[in-house]
Amino acid sequence: MKYSEPLSRILIISGVLLVLAVPFAAQAIGAQGVIEIHARVAESGGWTPSTIRAKVGVPLHLRMTSDDVMHSFAIGQSDTPAVDVLPGQMTDVTLTFDKPGTYTYYCTRWCGPNHWRMRGTIEVTGGDSASPPPGTPPLYVTLNLDIDAAHPAAVIPVGIPEAQRGAQFADLLTTTVMSLDYYRSHSPAHAFEDLRVDPSLTSLNNSDLWDLIAYLWQSNSTPEGLAEGQRLFAQNCTACHGETGGGNGVFSANIKALAGKTPANFSDPTTMLGAAPALLQGKILRGGMGTGMPSWGPILTDQQTWNIISYLYTFQFNENSAAAGK
Amino acid sequence: MHYELTRFPLVKALLKNRWPQMLVWLVMLAGFLFAILSGFFGTPVGNRNFGIVFVWIAWWAVLILVAVPFFGRGWCSVCPIPLPGEWLQRGAIMNPPGNKPKWYNLRWPNKLRNIWLQNLTFTLVALFSSVILTTPKVTAIVLAAMIFLAIGMSMVFERRTFCRYICPVSGFIGLYAQAAPLELRVKDKQVCLTCKDKPCYNGSPAGYGCPWDVFPGGLTKNTYCGLCMECLRTCPYENIAVNTRPFSDDLAKPSTRMDEAFKAFIMLGAAMIYAGEFLGPWGSLKLAAYSVGSISWFGYLVAFLVFIFGLLPALFLGAVWIGNKLSQATAALKKSFTAFATSLVPLGLMFWVAFSLSFVLTNAAYIFSSLSDPFGWGWNLFGTAAIPWQPILTTILLPLQTLALAGGLLWTASTARKAGSEVKVSPVPVIVFSTAATVAMLGLLL
Amino acid sequence: MSKKKWIFGVLFVMAGAVIVFAPLPVRATPPTLRTFRIEASQFAYTPAVLAVNPGDTVTIELVSTDVVHGLYLDGYGVSVTADPGQTARLTFIADKSGSFRFRCNVTCGALHPFMIGKLQVGPNTWLWRAIVLTILAALVIPILRPNLPRARAG
Repeated sequence: MKYSEPLSRILIISGVLLVLAVPFAAQAIGAQGVIEIHARVAESGGWTPSTIRAKVGVPLHLRMTSDDVMHSFAIGQSDTPAVDVLPGQMTDVTLTFDKPGTYTYYCTRWCGPNHWRMRGTIEVTGGDSASPPPGTPPLYVTLNLDIDAAHPAAVIPVGIPEAQRGAQFADLLTTTVMSLDYYRSHSPAHAFEDLRVDPSLTSLNNSDLWDLIAYLWQSNSTPEGLAEGQRLFAQNCTACHGETGGGNGVFSANIKALAGKTPANFSDPTTMLGAAPALLQGKILRGGMGTGMPSWGPILTDQQTWNIISYLYTFQFNENSAAAGK
Repeated sequence: MHYELTRFPLVKALLKNRWPQMLVWLVMLAGFLFAILSGFFGTPVGNRNFGIVFVWIAWWAVLILVAVPFFGRGWCSVCPIPLPGEWLQRGAIMNPPGNKPKWYNLRWPNKLRNIWLQNLTFTLVALFSSVILTTPKVTAIVLAAMIFLAIGMSMVFERRTFCRYICPVSGFIGLYAQAAPLELRVKDKQVCLTCKDKPCYNGSPAGYGCPWDVFPGGLTKNTYCGLCMECLRTCPYENIAVNTRPFSDDLAKPSTRMDEAFKAFIMLGAAMIYAGEFLGPWGSLKLAAYSVGSISWFGYLVAFLVFIFGLLPALFLGAVWIGNKLSQATAALKKSFTAFATSLVPLGLMFWVAFSLSFVLTNAAYIFSSLSDPFGWGWNLFGTAAIPWQPILTTILLPLQTLALAGGLLWTASTARKAGSEVKVSPVPVIVFSTAATVAMLGLLL
Repeated sequence: MSKKKWIFGVLFVMAGAVIVFAPLPVRATPPTLRTFRIEASQFAYTPAVLAVNPGDTVTIELVSTDVVHGLYLDGYGVSVTADPGQTARLTFIADKSGSFRFRCNVTCGALHPFMIGKLQVGPNTWLWRAIVLTILAALVIPILRPNLPRARAG
């Protein structure tokens, strides 16, 4: 039986070429105007690319996939909700920027001890070319606080202070003490010392005074703020600091190996009550110094940072909020 | 009961004509190349990559659950791996043989005319399986290596030496093909005796000599016939037939070969190790198997090799020896050993069926997503890309596995009895060995 | 086959049916609340094998220690996902008896499809039935066909 050799050769060669062409053609077609980002754990390179350029007002189309585990994509200090970046699947996101500047994108689902290092930047140019107003330095700089120095509380309460109980003495507090500035620049222990020598408060015993401090701390937060603080704490901090703030999170052993000590223990009154909110803000913003603490400056807004700090104190005080930490 | 399928003109025509086979080959070759491409260029996430899903879930399921048990070497008849090399070797795709061979056409060395090399290649693949099965690039490398090796061997040696002597899959397909209800045999041996040229082996203007280096006239078992149908085309006396037959037909004639016996141990042992490694709750075992080069991997390597090449054969030898003693047999121990090893063929096959059922039913859903999005690039060719992972038919899995294993044991016992008759040795100790292995497998799977 | 073999054959089938289908006495244990803290890492659960009694209300606290992991209970169809740092809880009633595997359902790396644990609800009855059935299968040939066949001619 005679078979067509040429026909069979044509079939095979064209079939092979077709198969080979498919992925390359698809890549060429798909690449129009879209930036493809691959997410890997930080040890394997993090975001690729890690720098993107964009223009004000021009939509930036991103397609993202993970090459290993579950990641997510979010823009620091932005309302844009985080999107999951799934292994082997593509997620499309379109971003439009109103103002020029450097935006940080980061992963919000813990993907290993170096998860927080997974960051990239989007350089946005154009728009209002006038340079932005110079930012104000964080409070710990203004106050000249050494945030790396030890800050043990000189006095600590017996038992857990209750803000609810302290409320009854609220009208004994001066407006200075009630101010946001006072709260942010004083540690609870420092405030306790100040109030201890206040003549109008000598009738209060130490326990009552601590309750009043707890109330003072609570008054500088809102239930919504505490709720957001708790949410952000769970998303960003518990992996190292532990769900009960005890410095015993799932990565605390990694931190100990890296930095020689475990993450800060927020349930320890001596260190926690000796820390002013400004000091905590400094630690959160700046991180680093070989302790394994990430710098959250580009990621969290000021308000978010203060909310987390408010929440941290609920490991020391019982505050009247559904989001009280224990 | 042998029933000739090629007595039906349609069947015979479909098998003799080269075009139906060619079209199937084209599809397989395209799929094979596509798997390699997706392995190299697609997402490194295994369960979203066409290469991993279609080779280790889809193709493996069809192979071990359908092709081998029911069609013997049916996969070999459509496998794309030997094709480019064979076409180059012949200098033609469809044309009949010319006068001179195009390449060296060396004869495969006598010392290697056995399946020991295939035992080795399968063991190598099995040792690295944890990495191969989960890493698209590595699967692509293995597939590419196989096809390049096949091409290279076709340039140097005659016929399909890769398939016959090297391919790791071919080794066990051949062994288990003995159990299948399909065969290719001559109809009348007398016709072959009077045939002068033996075109089935030597080729003719109608086609090529058997690529599997088999003389069809002497075929008594399925083990080495690749069902390529070349002899169906060249036999001038229409003396070749494809028949259905009872399961296990070839196993009534026990083997005398040590290489085949060890292939049976390799497959049996690998199935048991895989059941523990891939389906068990022991994370440290999985990590040991995966972290190639580490100390724990070397421990795994040693344990793997000792189990398959040491412990299992030693226990089996013990069983054969006891049987020998019980029967005051005169047969040499080696003869009993290889004869009884034949009975491990149905056991091993059912072990692999039981293991694969769990693996496949759990992960079959990935076939839908990787069909629509083969590279993990966000495509949705058939609308099935978003179908989530979900194990299927979980409720019938345990009964199916039990049936496979208990049925396999019954089959093994029956085969052991036939082997025992050949060497006049009691099969009971071997049946005890097989029962113990089956109970162990049940414990691992259920 | 001889009449004796027929009788044995029928007995074997009946025995097989009994082994598979006969209801076994169930030791009634009062349902209790069980809580398990399972750590998930690449690629294992610790502990990986859990045992409860039928009817127990089971709570699994899944703690991921490296990346996002999930736990999907095959046979029950319930699942939970845990990010590192956030313990996730799954509560269900173990109303189905038997052996069930739980698997990770969030791709967590190369060996993700093999990240497996086992939940045993009650005794592993099916395994015992299968083992007895297997032994029965092993006995068929020695009992029904105790004599070796005559050697084949040729």
